[in-house]
Amino acid sequence: MPVIASHLHAWRRNPNPWLGPATLALLAGCNPAQSVLHPAGEDAAEIARLFWVMAVGAVVIWAVVFGAAVFAIVSRRKPTTERGADLVVLFGGVVFPTVTLGALLAYGLTLLPDWGPGEPPDLRVHVEAEQYWWRVRIEGPDGAMIETANEVVLPAGAEVDFHLTSPDVIHSFWIPPLGGKMDTIPGRENVLRLRPTTPGLYRGICAEFCGASHAFMAFEARVVPPEDFTAYLAAQAEPASGDASAFVAAGCGGCHTVRGVVELGATGPDLTHFASRATIAGILDNTSEILREWIAHPVAFKPDARMPSYDMLTDDQMDAILAFLGGLK
Amino acid sequence: MSKAAPHKRRRVETGTDLCQVIAAPIVWSLHFLACYVWAAIHCEKAGRMADLDPARTGIFVLTGIALALIGFNTLRLWRIRARSLTDDDFDYDHDTPEERHRFLGHVALMLSVLSGVGVIYVAIPAVLVGTCR
Amino acid sequence: MTDAATREAQERRLEKTWETPKGFAYWSDVNNTSVGIWYIVTAFAFMLFGGVLALIIRAQLAVPEAGLVSADTYNQVFTLHGTVMMFLFAVPIFEAVAILILPAMLGARDLPFPRLSAFGYWCFLIGGVFVCGSIFFGIAPDGGWFMYPPLATEQAGIGADIWLLGLSFIEVASIAAAVELIVGVLKCRAPGMHINLTPLYGWYVLVVGGMILFAFPPLIAGDLLFELERLLDWPFFDITRGGDPLLWQHLFWIFGHPEVYIIFLPAIALLAMIIPTFSGRPIVGYSWIVLSALGTGFLSFGLWVHHMFTTGLPSISLGFFSAASEAVAIPTGIQLFAFIGTVMLGRAQRSVPMIFCLGALATFVAGGLTGVMVAVAPFDFQVHDTYFIVAHLHYTLIGGMLFPTLAGVHYYFPFFSGRLLSRRLGIWSFWLMFTGFNVAFLPMHLTGLLGMPRRVFTYGADRGWSELNLVSTAGAFLFAAGFLVFVWNCLKSWKYGEDAGHNPWKAGTLEWLSPSLDIGMRSIPDISHRYPLWDDPDIVRRSLEAEGYLPDAEEGKRETLVTTVLDATPVQVLRVPGPSFVPMVAAVGLGGLFILSTFHFYWTALASGLLYLAAQIWWLWHGAAPIPEKTEKDVGNGLVLPLYRSGPQATGWWAMFITMTGDATAFLALVFGYFFFWTVHPEFPPEGSVTPGMFWPAAAGLLTALAWGLTLAARLRNAAGAVTTARFLLGLSVAATLAAAAAFALGPLTRGMDPTSHSYPAIVGALVLWVMAHLLAGAIMQGYCLARSLAGKMTPDYDADIWNVTLYWHFTLFAGLVTAAVIGFVPGAQ
Repeated sequence: MPVIASHLHAWRRNPNPWLGPATLALLAGCNPAQSVLHPAGEDAAEIARLFWVMAVGAVVIWAVVFGAAVFAIVSRRKPTTERGADLVVLFGGVVFPTVTLGALLAYGLTLLPDWGPGEPPDLRVHVEAEQYWWRVRIEGPDGAMIETANEVVLPAGAEVDFHLTSPDVIHSFWIPPLGGKMDTIPGRENVLRLRPTTPGLYRGICAEFCGASHAFMAFEARVVPPEDFTAYLAAQAEPASGDASAFVAAGCGGCHTVRGVVELGATGPDLTHFASRATIAGILDNTSEILREWIAHPVAFKPDARMPSYDMLTDDQMDAILAFLGGLK
Repeated sequence: MSKAAPHKRRRVETGTDLCQVIAAPIVWSLHFLACYVWAAIHCEKAGRMADLDPARTGIFVLTGIALALIGFNTLRLWRIRARSLTDDDFDYDHDTPEERHRFLGHVALMLSVLSGVGVIYVAIPAVLVGTCR
Repeated sequence: MTDAATREAQERRLEKTWETPKGFAYWSDVNNTSVGIWYIVTAFAFMLFGGVLALIIRAQLAVPEAGLVSADTYNQVFTLHGTVMMFLFAVPIFEAVAILILPAMLGARDLPFPRLSAFGYWCFLIGGVFVCGSIFFGIAPDGGWFMYPPLATEQAGIGADIWLLGLSFIEVASIAAAVELIVGVLKCRAPGMHINLTPLYGWYVLVVGGMILFAFPPLIAGDLLFELERLLDWPFFDITRGGDPLLWQHLFWIFGHPEVYIIFLPAIALLAMIIPTFSGRPIVGYSWIVLSALGTGFLSFGLWVHHMFTTGLPSISLGFFSAASEAVAIPTGIQLFAFIGTVMLGRAQRSVPMIFCLGALATFVAGGLTGVMVAVAPFDFQVHDTYFIVAHLHYTLIGGMLFPTLAGVHYYFPFFSGRLLSRRLGIWSFWLMFTGFNVAFLPMHLTGLLGMPRRVFTYGADRGWSELNLVSTAGAFLFAAGFLVFVWNCLKSWKYGEDAGHNPWKAGTLEWLSPSLDIGMRSIPDISHRYPLWDDPDIVRRSLEAEGYLPDAEEGKRETLVTTVLDATPVQVLRVPGPSFVPMVAAVGLGGLFILSTFHFYWTALASGLLYLAAQIWWLWHGAAPIPEKTEKDVGNGLVLPLYRSGPQATGWWAMFITMTGDATAFLALVFGYFFFWTVHPEFPPEGSVTPGMFWPAAAGLLTALAWGLTLAARLRNAAGAVTTARFLLGLSVAATLAAAAAFALGPLTRGMDPTSHSYPAIVGALVLWVMAHLLAGAIMQGYCLARSLAGKMTPDYDADIWNVTLYWHFTLFAGLVTAAVIGFVPGAQ
């Protein structure tokens, strides 16, 4: 494996680290972009609250049970009757768990998705997880699909349905600060509904083991104010322009679509507004030096990636491709 | 002591003792499976946008039946053998078929109560979830 | 009353009969003590191997973007770590410990089928070495221990095949052990040991054995479908041809979740033996514990979907499984409180096993509480497949399984070695392990909540997980150091440990009665208490002075008592076989069949399979239920028992019944597959599919019924003394069976169903293959009975063979009729 440390996209730019009840010193220093305990969406916030309730309960119960065991060993004052010990089992082992667990069950069930056809979302996003990247299609207000890759931009406050599937193996779509994960399963379309609330940069990842580059299957999730989202959508809907001759000559167009310029194949990520994205392939900083290395050796960054190596390109060809891609704002 | 071999004290030994022990958990299992299968087939065939109500009604009926069976079993065991929900096992010498019989009846009674709790737990989701989503 | 000289002579005869063979022949031993010790040592050896893999994982994750191993190697390492710990340590160690201590605990001289234990052991060893060895060639499975398709079905190389075939083979060993142990607990208890006097360990073994029968077969069925897809391209999990990857997840987790309890309950069972001893009093709540073992056994089958909470199933389905997952915490809690109650009433002695018990309690309760948390589906949406789950599962497995097992090893070490483990080293190893474990795994809860997913071979430096991971790695190495101290303690004490003497812990249960391992107890006493050594002070003397049963081995045959299920009334003297290499040869043959198939050497695999079959038949012919030289014998105290039993009173019949219950479960898992496809497809079979039609399935069903009827009639005629008629009926039944098998095949074949085209013909094909294999085995059994009858080894009085074969046929009839109905008569299938 080549050293990749210097290239990995850094996620330190989060403008709004929401600490919530997580004021533990430990958490203060950690990166909230991928954290369950730093919610930036309604679902994540509810689940974080659920967690804290359960965590406190669990610590108390653990202390009581273990304390009882230690007390039983150490104490010389014994209960007088076996009947007494019997009652300990009855209350500690039956009555208390039955009531507590029943209440917890009901609490948890109220947080499960439970919506019908009468409650349509504000926005639909179609995600196809592929080894090892994300194809994202945003359903515009007119129903048109706007395709991008390895980034998900969402309007704050909107209810978003993610329609999830996969053409190859099972992956799992997860943006921890926004809410729970959902698997993308070949042949099925799963729907995950989230409501992001806090604008910021978050990190989405694949949570289900999917092969050699599972660790490198990530994307940027950006929550923006609604008006910014409208602008984003409009910009993404625009076709691109530029001199694609080197790009096409090298065969890149066979897999990558650049809307308005090259629309030959779409097995790889759409690159229409590639230069506006923060990352290359969801994991690397989007700079032209790194892009040069990526194009030459994709498997050095993502083992088993489907994109072939283009280390045979001359410097001129590569420069032309980089110039073209760099212009796809 | 060793001369008075226990087989001499032998009374009727039947398999029904063991069957009664697992009767209530089996009701729980069947109820659980039936609820799950019913809801799963309903949601798969009617589509994920569908209402759950038809299946919920079925689940409530099944729950009623299961609880009635388990309740009947519990009452029967309570009346015949074991008037206690705690272990209550200290005052007995255990080495007779009668004692074995009482013991298994008692385990059956407690398992019956546990199964009843299990059935109620399984019915809670049907109360709180209203759609196939 | 016998005089000293007679007793001396008896004792010498007993010792000679039960002697462990010396030299190379040692490996032909089948006695439960030898097999049990091999089993334990092997399981711990695999555990050390899995531990080394864990250290590689931790070393790679110690710092961000480390390059110690490549992604590919890492994936093999974590897959194998999970696989080895689950299949080669956690489950086998239960079988190992049970085989070693159960007979003594129940007052039996051996388990009822010693050669089956040995066979299971050799299967385990061969399969385990095969699966582990693959990593040294870089061809180990790398799809995760759960092998989800399509990732695992489409993977190139033979890694997935090694996993499937290697583990199927080991599952056979587990089921063999389950059969053995269930029959042992039900039928081989000492006289007078009513079922409510049975040591709690026996109850747990019974429950766990039953769970294995219902949990492992679905995985075997799943393995079969998986391997059919990989080898023959039958598309069970391929969505482009009507398959569904979720079917595998269901079958895997129907196995996978009960398995967690299959691992946990036997370890808790050890606590149920240790805690009363060191509290100096009987357990509080014997019936509580029986109830909770049984309750856990049942409820654990309603949890499997909680591993699939994020697959997009309807909320209502998640709710049911969430409910059952919460409910299972109730019986688990009862057990723990019963232990606490016991200590509370007793006077706790401080000892190394008790420290491990307390460590187990602290760890397991934490794991159980996080378990309750992840059973709440919405919380699981967040932490599923993160390091929170890694922390949770290690807390449950190490607290619920490893620490109790180590407590058990410290406790039972004198039982099988006659020496005590060093107390000083024991305390050192505990504190190193306990500290190391918590340092390693407590931070992982937080790592997971900060978003670190499982099964990533590296992570970025900016994620904020670096420090946490470094701490975890340090803890892991501390834990490993503690474990090495434990291993050193065992090795050293085996030779140089302090002499334990008789019953060193002053325990109350029967396994501490006798100082000699080979013969078990000098004579088998009557039991009238739960803790006979405490409540019946005379019992040791009675046993040693040969006043119990079977004080002698006049005929030089290994004998143990068979008693009734509930009240343990003696009903038979069971002759169990002595040393033999046949189990090893049979295991090598069966292992060859699986291993050579992995490498696609089909002809040699077939040859190996035939070797297995030959060994199996030789084994049965020369040892299963031999006709004794006399009908009954005096076992002492004027009790005269028969030497031969057939039908429901024989252990062999019970073994067949239990095996076939497991077999029927596997069959039902295949039928479940059919109806799973029916549920997920709008139409199944799809419009316009080629079907087997009605004629051949109907004919096959009728012929199966005919073959069954003929077999049953043969048994009845034979019992009535009409031997010639019985032989004639058996001959006819073989013909009917073969015709039935042909008729099953002819449906799909004549209509030209192509199993590679769609999941419908594929699942029909799988059902038909299953039934045909059972019919062919049935025909071999009918032929075997015929041959036994002709050879004079089966007579109207000695007819266990045909009883067991008839029982097999009851189940085969069920499978045949269900298959015929499903492929021929389900709506749409015509």
